[in-house]
This record gives sequence, C-alpha cells and structure tokens, in this order.
Amino acid sequence: MSEMTENTRQPGAAAAATTCEEGTTIGLDDAVVQARGVTKLYGQGDACVHALAGVDIDLRRGAYTAVMGPSGSGKSTLMHILAGLDRPSAGNVWIDGLEITGLKERALTQLRRDKIGFIFQTFNLLATLTAAENIVLPLTIAGRKGDAAWVEELVATVGLGDRLGHKPAELSGGQQQRVAVARALASRPAVLFADEPTGNLDSHTGEEVLQLLRHSSDKLGQTIVMVTHDAHAATYADRIVFLKDGVIAHDCGRLGRDEIYDVIKSLEDAG
Amino acid sequence: MIRIAWRSLTAHKLRTILTTLAILLGVAMICGTYVLSDQIDRGFKNIFTDAYKGIDVAVTRKAKFSGEMTGATAGLPESTIAQVRGVNGVAEAYGFVTGTGAVAVNGKVVSTGGSPTLFFSYAPSDISNTTYVQGGPPTAPGEVSIIQKLATDQKLHLGSVIDVIAPGGSDKARVVGVFTFGAESSLGGSLIVDTTLADAQRWFDMPGSVSEIDVKAVPGVPPDTLAPRVRAALPAYADVKTGAQAAIDQTKQLSDAIGSFLRPMLLSFGGIAVLVGAFIIFNAFSMTVAQRRRELALLRALGASRRQVLLTITCEALAMGVLASLLGILAGLAIAAGILRLFAAAQIDIPHSGLVLAPRTVIVALAVGILVTLLSAVIPSLRATRVPPMAALQEGAVLPPSRLARFTPYLAVVLALLGALGIVAGMYGPGSASSRLGVIAFGAVFVFVAVAMVSRYVIKPLAGLLGWPLQKLAPVSGRLARDNSMRNPARTAATASALMIGLGVVVFVAVFAQGLKSSFIDSFDRSVRADFVVQGQSYLPLPSDTASRLQGVAGVQTAAGVEAQQAQIAKKTTAVYGVDPYTFPRIWKFDWVKGGSDALLGKLGTNGAIVEEQTAASLGTGIGKTIDVVTVDGKQAKLKVIGLYRETSMMNGVIVSDAGYTALFAKPQLFTVYVKGDPGVGMAQTEASLKAALVAVPTADLQTAQQYKDGIVKQVNQILNLLYGLLAMSVIISLFGIVNTLVLAVFERTREIGLTRAIGMSRRQVRATVRYESVITSIIGAIMGIVVGIVFAWVVTTRFAGQGITFSIPGGQLVAFLIVGVIVGVIAAILPARRAARIDILEAIHYE
Repeated sequence: MSEMTENTRQPGAAAAATTCEEGTTIGLDDAVVQARGVTKLYGQGDACVHALAGVDIDLRRGAYTAVMGPSGSGKSTLMHILAGLDRPSAGNVWIDGLEITGLKERALTQLRRDKIGFIFQTFNLLATLTAAENIVLPLTIAGRKGDAAWVEELVATVGLGDRLGHKPAELSGGQQQRVAVARALASRPAVLFADEPTGNLDSHTGEEVLQLLRHSSDKLGQTIVMVTHDAHAATYADRIVFLKDGVIAHDCGRLGRDEIYDVIKSLEDAG
Repeated sequence: MIRIAWRSLTAHKLRTILTTLAILLGVAMICGTYVLSDQIDRGFKNIFTDAYKGIDVAVTRKAKFSGEMTGATAGLPESTIAQVRGVNGVAEAYGFVTGTGAVAVNGKVVSTGGSPTLFFSYAPSDISNTTYVQGGPPTAPGEVSIIQKLATDQKLHLGSVIDVIAPGGSDKARVVGVFTFGAESSLGGSLIVDTTLADAQRWFDMPGSVSEIDVKAVPGVPPDTLAPRVRAALPAYADVKTGAQAAIDQTKQLSDAIGSFLRPMLLSFGGIAVLVGAFIIFNAFSMTVAQRRRELALLRALGASRRQVLLTITCEALAMGVLASLLGILAGLAIAAGILRLFAAAQIDIPHSGLVLAPRTVIVALAVGILVTLLSAVIPSLRATRVPPMAALQEGAVLPPSRLARFTPYLAVVLALLGALGIVAGMYGPGSASSRLGVIAFGAVFVFVAVAMVSRYVIKPLAGLLGWPLQKLAPVSGRLARDNSMRNPARTAATASALMIGLGVVVFVAVFAQGLKSSFIDSFDRSVRADFVVQGQSYLPLPSDTASRLQGVAGVQTAAGVEAQQAQIAKKTTAVYGVDPYTFPRIWKFDWVKGGSDALLGKLGTNGAIVEEQTAASLGTGIGKTIDVVTVDGKQAKLKVIGLYRETSMMNGVIVSDAGYTALFAKPQLFTVYVKGDPGVGMAQTEASLKAALVAVPTADLQTAQQYKDGIVKQVNQILNLLYGLLAMSVIISLFGIVNTLVLAVFERTREIGLTRAIGMSRRQVRATVRYESVITSIIGAIMGIVVGIVFAWVVTTRFAGQGITFSIPGGQLVAFLIVGVIVGVIAAILPARRAARIDILEAIHYE
C-alpha cells in the first residue's frame, strides 16, 4: 500500500496532471497512453481485493503492446481503465494528452467515440447492420461522413470484398472479427484496444485477425493494446507486459512463443 | 413448480406489475360499470319505494307501449275515483294529476341537469309521502308548494312568486309551502311542485281527468286481495297494481331507460379494455417464455414433464389473473365513485345509493379477469412445453415455433371471415337490437384478432417506411430503432395490435359521428327554409300556442310548429308529426317521391298521412294504402297514405295535419317551431322581436338556423368526447404493453447496447433509439387502428345509409389520432429508455 502511495506522489505524475489541467499535451516522449499509480479496489474492508495495485505504464505512439497475465492478474481491468470504460480507485490515466480519470460521462463517451477503438472477444457487431454499416458505425454515431478514401482503404485491408453487404450472421467468425478490426480503425483512433480478439476463433482465422492487427500497426502506424493469454497472439506484439496480482511483473520487447512460456513459468515459480 | 412460478413473478417485478395492471384496468371498468348501475338502480328503488310507502293499490291508465316521446297518457276520468272508493275493502282513494314541466325564478328556468321537474296535484301526506317543513299544501288556484331543495337552491320562501311552465301554458304561482319527500330532501336532481288539482289539470291538459289513483286498504285487507277487486270494478283501460308492484315497475322502467344505455355502453368499453389487456398478457407471456427458454429447458433436462412446465406457466397466469381481478374490483369501486363524482361535477344529479357490491359483480369481474388471463397465456404456455431439453445446452437457439404457426395466415383468414359474417349478420339479420349488437361485437373482436395475427406481415414494410425519415433525422438511433422494430415482427405486431384496438374503436366512433354530423347538416340545409328554430329546454314541449304567438310578431313571415308523438303502426313504434298544412311547406322543402307535391298537405284532412319513404318501406305500406295507428292511450285510427317523401334525418316517420294530430292524440306535444323572417326586415331586429315575444315562455330556446346546427354538432361532439374519455382507458392499457415490450427488448439487447456505448454512442443516442422504436411501434398500431376503424365505419355507415348517415372521414381528427399514437410511443419509451441508458458498459460486454 505504501508503494502505491509513493507512486501517486511521483513528481512526474503531478507535473503531468498540472499541465493537463492547462489544456496542453504533456511533453513526455511520444506516449499516447500514460498511466500513473492506477489502482482498482473491489469490495470493502476485509473483503477488499486489489485488482490493480499501482500500475505505471507509458505506451508509445504506433506501438503494438500485448498485455498478458493469468486470470485475475488484472489485465482486463487495466485495459478497461486505460480505455475509459472503468474508473480507477486511485491514479491517473492520460490518453493523447488528455487526462481521462476525472472526465464526466458525456466527455468519456466522446473520448471513446473519437480517440479509442475497441475489439472484443465476442459480440463485436450489431446483428441488424451489414458489415459495411458496422464498419462505419463509429463515424455514423459521431455524425461524421468520414473519409471515403480511408474507409475504402480499410475495406481493402480487411479483404471482405463482396461480403460487405452481408449481415454478421452470414459471416464466419473470422470475417466478423475482421469487420470488427476495420470498425475499430474507422475513426482513426489514438489507440486501439483489443480484448482477447482471437479468443473465440480457431487457429486459422485467429491468424488472419492477428496479421490484420500487425498490418495496422506496421502500415497504418496504429497504436494497439491487446489483452491476451494466448502466447502465440502475443508474439505479434512489439512489447509484452506481464501482469501478476495487479502489478506489472515483467515488461519486455518482442518475444518468441517459447520465450513467452519461459517468462510465464518464471513468474509462476516466483509466485 | 408453484414455487418456481412465484419466483418468476417476483423476479420480474416490473413486467408482472405492468401485465397485472393491463388486466386490472379492464376488470376495473367492468366491475365499476356494475357497481355504478347497481347504485343507480338502488337509488331509484329507494325513491319509488318511498313514493309508494303506505299505498296498497295504485290505478293508472294502461299504456299500450312505451317509447321515449310517448308523453303521459290521457289519464283516468275523475269519476273513476268514486268507482274505486266503492270497492269493498278500500279505506281511501285519492286521485291526482302529475306531469313534467319546468319552474322559472325571475324569468330564468331552474336547471335540473337533465332530471325532470315533476308536478303533482295535492294529495294527503300519507299518499304523497310529503312532509311539510314550512307553510302547507296549496288550496287555491295559483298556489303551489315546493320541495325543500328548490326552496334552498333558489332562496325561495313562503310568498315568493315563481313561473310554472307546463305543456298547457305558463302561469305565475305563489309558494305557500315547503316540504320534504320521503326521507329525502331531493329526488335525484328532480324538483317537485305540488299544485291544486284544477291547476294541474289545466297545466297538463287533463280536464276532468287524473293521472293516478292511490288507494289505502281497510286494515286487514291485504293489497294482493284488494288489487283484483279494484281491477274488476274498473274498465279495461285501467291498470291496477299493488303499491309494491308499482314501485318495482317504475324503478325498472326508469333504471331500464338509463341502464339500457349506460350499462351496455360502459360494459362494451370495459370489454374493449379487457381485450387490449388480453393482447398484452399474451405478449408478456410469449416474451417470458422466450426469455426463460434455457431455464425451462433446464427444468426439462432435469426431468420435469411437459405437464409440469405447463403447470408452472399456468400457475403464473392464474396468480396474475387472481391478483389483477381482486385489485380490479377495488379499482372498480373507485371508478364507480369517480363517475358519480363526474356526473355531479357536470350537474347531472342521478339518484344513487351508497356502494353496492353485488355478488354478481364480484363473480363476473373475477371470471373475466382470471379467464382472460388464462386464455391469453395458454398459447405461450403450450409453446413453453415444446422447448426441448437440449435448448439448455445450446447457445442462441430460438423458441420452437408453435405447431400451428404455419396455419396462422389461414386461421386469420377464417377468423376474419367469421368476424365479417358476424358483423353482417348482426347488421342485417333478425333479432333484438341488443342481441344483434352482441353479434356485431363478437364479429369485431374476431376481426381485430385476425388483423393482429396477420399484422406481423406488414410490420417490416411499415417499420421500414416509418424508420426512413427517422433514419434521416438521426442516422444511428433512427436506423437501429427501425431495425430493432423489425427484428421480431410477431412481437412488434402484438404490441402494436393492442394499441390498434383502442384507436380502431376511437376512429370508428369519430368517423361514424362525422357521418352523423354531416348528414344532419346536409339534411337541415336541404329541407329547412326557416331562419330561426324554437325548441323547449331539456326537451320539454313548448306551450301549444307558441307558433300562433310567434306568427303575429313583427318581422315574422311564417311560424310553423311541429308536434310529435310516438304511436304504434304495424307493431312498430313510429314517430307521428303534426303540422299545419298551410304554414309548414313555407318553412320546409319537401323532397317528394313519385310526383308528390306540397299540394298533398292540403288534402291531409283528419285521416290522411304522408309517410317518409324508408318508414313506409319498413311498415310495408305505400301510397293509397291504409295504416293502422295505435296511440299510447290505446286509441286506434286508420290513416290513408296519400304521399311519400324523403327525409331520414329530421322527420323520419309519419306526417299528419294538426287537425289529424289533435284527433289522434289526447294532448299536444309541440317540440319545434320553425320561424321564417320577413326578408324586408333585418334578421337581428326580427330576432330581438322574437326574443321579446318569448319572454313569457322561459323554457323556449330561440336559435338562428346556424346556432341550431352548431348546437347539434356540439351535442354530438360532447357525446364523442365522453366516448373518447372512456376509450382512453384502452389506449393507456396498450401503452403499458409497449412499455412491457420495450423493457424486455432493452434487457435482451443489453450486450448490444453495451457495445454501442463502448464504441462511442452517447446515452442520449441510446435513449433516442429506444424512443424511436417505441414511436415506430405505436405509429404502426395507430395506422392499423385507423385503417380498421375506417373500414368498420364504412361498413356500418353503408348499413345506415337509409337513415341518411353518410360516410365521411374527419381528416383533421385522424391526424390528431396519429399524433396521439406518437405521444403514446414517446411516453411508453420514457422508462425503458432510461433503463437502456443506465446500462453499465462493462457489465453489458461480459453479460451472458
């Protein structure tokens, strides 16, 4: 607990908070997502559980980061907080220079709409809309027409071709998830969050989605945060962050599958 | 299983409450109707029991038939009193004259809110049941005593002078006494004035006659023994009854007059409400079953039999039905009290007793509530039993369609045909009016159900059409709302159908009333050449000399009166009009049939008649034939038909000359005087002169032709508003249905709403989506209602085309009903939209 308190008192965090209030971007590198001392408590008193116990993280623009960890490590909670879906019990989060921790519901909605893209494990598409309509949904919600060339490029990247006019029920799981990726990219978000994007797919179609994400990072310079427990999926990322018991246990660059297993094993042994 | 049913009811409190409310309101209306009419019955019974207290035998003149404008009978000759006194066992017999008139104070008619002002010639207090609180009974001509209510309301006291207005003329009278009647200080809203016998005979045109003779028996002679003796001593036209029987008969006559109108009307609106409620229950249970598919499948997988599953759902329906019916009975008591309060506010003083909750009321309310709930739940329950145990393990499996699903369109067609058959049979078939109306009502219910069954096929195109402008307005919310409303067409259809029924009846009533109004105005414009119309207030007849009094007024070219009475011709109660053959054609343009002309009027004499074409057809008579007329007094006459005319709206019956009328009927009954002004004199001036001439007749209402037409339209509109008020209940119930459906739809789409929120949809947009879906559903309901209502109205007006009712669509009102549909949708969406907007995104995304 003392560690957490210390974290929140970090001079950098304080300075960042101040500059943010003044409405300018914080000048720390080219970080798109920054978190300082992020803590999440569930329950009260003796039943109190630390889902996150003070996490500091900076995600550079254009980086493809995988967040790994066993069940209950807090990886999903971290993603939800970074994405503004959940509020931390303590700590601060900045996205594209804007502190989101104190934002009102309305501003958070706008943030999700304009700055963030989402891909979930299941249920990413609206059943009543066609694939094409699902892709531009964030733009439609924002009341924007969108950049036609950009949408076209996305559609080409996703490679759905003639299936664009189909409803999700008529698409395979892999196709649906590719549509979800295109949708998440449609509003050119500052950061794309993917929550176990291949968790519900077979290995082959999962591969397609992973390649698509990699492509987005390489060719489009898209910042990506992917939560996964699949080591193979994590090999596609530039950086892998391992969470354990609500804190960052290991943070490293690109790893192969076996190396990832080694890290996991060493963390388990340490626990 | 019963515990599972209970758990399910309590777990979905909102749905249980809304569904219960839907059936509750219908039951409440039915229960309220019975309570109210029982209260009114009891109220009249109390009055007449009071009136005949202590009277052993009552003698009146036999009425040959009863009708709304038959007026009083000619009465009994005064000599009858002596005959009655001569009967062995009669201690005392007292004859008196009674009639209906009006009282004016300071030239203003005392309003009774539609109740009659009754005049009685004096009878001793043990006969009349009056108790004097001030002064005493009238003894000299020009003296009256009055009921306490009149004295109090109008601040009258002994010595005050009032105007008495009666069919035989109007007079000044001095108040010499104030009394109470029975135990009451008033008699509903009725006023009572006691006069001397001579005055009453003069005012009511009954010289030498009495209306009724009340008899007291010698102690020890029971009324049942005395009545046959009196009957034996009197001529055949005398009607002899015991006092008790007379009280019962009079109660029945009066409460029938009110009940025959009020009770079926209120009951049918209650029935409509119940029908709407049935749709909502059906829908609610269908949704419940669909939602609990996995739970039911699990039960089946654990070994529950189909019967047990059926039992669970049925138990739920039963519990809901019992609860709704019991609460509905309580609410019905409140409705009855509320309607009486409304009557009082409208100054309609209907006599009534305290709350009467007859066993019949409770039984009917319970039976209707429980049966309708069970019946509405039976199809969803049967479908529940068809959930395979496997469904517990499958993700996203849908409810098995009903085994009859593929027959639905055929079934709907059969139902629609049966319904149409019922309506046609009811309109053209034989039988009494009420039984035919019943058949029509059943036919209409069948048609409504059939339309509801096939409406699922129009949901997609209609929702697509309605959603299109919404989509332009709000690209996301509008589009999603449109798609959502098309997702489960059967559910949207059932929800919209509930609204369709209420609005369908509203539209039917509106279109029918429009036809009524326009046909009346057409008819008036076509036939009436007069500039002014004079009628008595509260349908009181005018003094018989009114026409001749107005003829002499400056600026009047012609004043022609129309007397009216009902008589029986060929066993049918028919209106007989008496007109002056020379003045009447000047204010009335006849539409003659077969070469007739106004000259025919001059040939009427005392035994000629001209007959309205439709009337002639229904009486089976024609030119040159003879019709047999029987008056209410039993007088018989033969009239020769010398001409036919067309006028179904205002003069639908038989026209005789004034001389012929006087020969036929004992008493004048002048209802209307038409006045045509001299074109050379200004209308305003003539109107002023007429007003001055009518000062002596305070009950007379002088209206210009335009005012008269406006007045009739206003009357129709008043009734229309009353009907709208009663139908509002059904619309409110259907609103609950929409809320119910939306709440469930929001619940089902939790994940979807969470997803859209996660990718940037605002709460406002989520609310708008739900609201638009609601509005799409309600507009579909409104459109279906308008279409069905117009078709019904068209069919019915076609039937009544003979009565001059035309088919005419009130466009403005239809637009208003569509707007009502939109408002219903917006209101229904408030709660579900708030729920949808409050959905927690994280929970929604992980929601299973």
